[in-house]
Amino acid sequence: MKRLQSIVCVPLIFGSLLLGLSGCSSKAVQSGGDVQSSQQGAGKGSNEGGVSQNIPDTSFSGQNGSGGLRGLDKNPSEERLGGNTLTAKADSGSASRQMEEIRAEQIASAAAGLRDVFFAYDSFAISEEGRQSLARNAEWIKSNPGTQLKVEGHCDERGTSAYNLVLGEKRAKSVRNYLVELGVAPKQLSVVSYGKERPVCAEHVESCYSQNRRGHLVVKTGK
Amino acid sequence: MTFRIVVFISLCLSVGLAWIIESGATDVFLEATRPDFQKIPLGVAGIENSGGADSPAGRIRLGNRIEEVLKADVRRSQVFSLIDLPSIGIKVGSLGAVPDPEFKKAAEQGVSVIVWGKAGMTNDAKDPDVNMDGYVYDAGNDEMVGGKRYAGATSVVRLMAHRFADELVFRYTGEPGIARTKIAYVSEQGAARELFVMDYDGYDARQLTADGFLNLMPKWSPDRRFIVFTSYRNRNTQNIDMIELATGKRWTLVSLSGLNITPALSPDGNFLAFASSHEGNSELYSLDTRTKAMQRLTVHAGGDLSPSWSPSGRELVFTSDRSGGPQIFLMSMDGTNVRRLTFEGDYNAAPAWSPRGNWIAYVCRSPKKEYKICLITPDGQKRVQLTSGPGVDDSPSWSPDGRHLVFSSTAGGKSQIYMINADGKDLERITFTGTHNSAPTWSPAS
Repeated sequence: MKRLQSIVCVPLIFGSLLLGLSGCSSKAVQSGGDVQSSQQGAGKGSNEGGVSQNIPDTSFSGQNGSGGLRGLDKNPSEERLGGNTLTAKADSGSASRQMEEIRAEQIASAAAGLRDVFFAYDSFAISEEGRQSLARNAEWIKSNPGTQLKVEGHCDERGTSAYNLVLGEKRAKSVRNYLVELGVAPKQLSVVSYGKERPVCAEHVESCYSQNRRGHLVVKTGK
Repeated sequence: MTFRIVVFISLCLSVGLAWIIESGATDVFLEATRPDFQKIPLGVAGIENSGGADSPAGRIRLGNRIEEVLKADVRRSQVFSLIDLPSIGIKVGSLGAVPDPEFKKAAEQGVSVIVWGKAGMTNDAKDPDVNMDGYVYDAGNDEMVGGKRYAGATSVVRLMAHRFADELVFRYTGEPGIARTKIAYVSEQGAARELFVMDYDGYDARQLTADGFLNLMPKWSPDRRFIVFTSYRNRNTQNIDMIELATGKRWTLVSLSGLNITPALSPDGNFLAFASSHEGNSELYSLDTRTKAMQRLTVHAGGDLSPSWSPSGRELVFTSDRSGGPQIFLMSMDGTNVRRLTFEGDYNAAPAWSPRGNWIAYVCRSPKKEYKICLITPDGQKRVQLTSGPGVDDSPSWSPDGRHLVFSSTAGGKSQIYMINADGKDLERITFTGTHNSAPTWSPAS
């Protein structure tokens, strides 16, 4: 462990100097202070759910190394191989219901005439044009106080799926925060990030990417 | 930064490989991954159809099918080099005495191992029974050193070849092989993304979820029984669910408010590391699956995500944008000793720690602004760009033997899944159907 630290420290110190950051040793102390036990955090700050108390046993004691193989034999006895029982058959029950719900939300959102907000590459800052769109959206939402809306954050296909989910959430929260600034009741708005998983345009060109980097408002029709 | 040697393998892979060889391997390499490891020359002298061409086996070319699967497994093993026996003048098929005199001829030409066999099928139109015999000749011993005899339904024909290939790897390395491993991945189904599991070579895909929502970023439990993933089934939060493969039974493990993503179970299965935004921005947490105690690992205004465990389970590598664009960081499993690992480029994400410990694979943005797969050693001393060319590469995941990676790429237009050797050779596309396949994750060895 000590050896590893010293190996890592050398490039870190130089790297940090180059970047104008603090050195390695102070960084380690600082990160040590980062740690914060939050066993109560499971309940705190989460109004719905938290951490399940019903988790199947996932402990793993390690494999025996042979992977169930029996080795070669000069007079092999017959091994009967079972069918591929690793995976159960998927139940497609809810898929069609979900499709209907998405369609119903699209119709309700189109009827409301809500506008999308578009973002620059790698950015979650709302442009002047975006502010104008949100000002119009805010008027509609305020005049429909009984409506619940989902603020969706979307990204283009560049970059990783995981990091785009985080970026999409930042975009959705930017849009929500600006709507709240404009006087929309926070409880009317929830945020969801779809990252790059639900693009509106599938080509690998900038004209398509710019359409996908968007904040999109959806009128909730279900629960 | 002259001491930070960076090697970009773009067109000329040999440059990078030569450099790795020159710089020497670290002590965590096992023999078969050492750069100077000589692959064992192996030839397949035919898997014949029992009873000839007009037999039930012959009519469906059963032996030929098993032989094809076996040869592909041998080639992918990285333990053997597959020698085409006819091309060096060795007759295959219709073996006489065992071992056949031809084997000795092949041995004189440097072939170390020769395998052959036969496959048969019962004449039962509805539910035929398949059997396969496989034998191994070792040139060093100059004798048939052993064989295997398998039987089963027609649905296990490929498995017979895979299992025999794994026995060969086990015999010559003591490792269980990867031919029976699986790859879980995400496939687009209309507006939904559902989980699938397929064999490591892309065959026999099975659908795991079918709920119509987004199901993202699957990861295996170390015992291969479960897959943890992010589910959008609860509309208000994005939860971490777990599904049991054998039964399809599903649990919600984490339903904190906001976005709960990138779960990863520790090598001992006792901790679930994941990212959650329930306290504001995305932070990393660790959940003890036995006590259900949750510990926050990161505290930073930047986003932290994508944890991947070291093989020892003592450290985590993860993505953080605390210094601007996303970069790769390391820390101890309790959140202490955080240090930045990547300094090349302004976008590095989705790290995956090799099961051998010696490399961390991740997505790097190249100087040409292409998203490619890179490898870096955990001490940051060596870095190589593994893939090149157009398309967005994502989600690298290691084979349990540490010799291969799978990843998704849009190089061919639509996102599909590819396999590549850890040395950058033998790029192979393994999914061909579907409009969008992504987030591949390689199972542990059985």
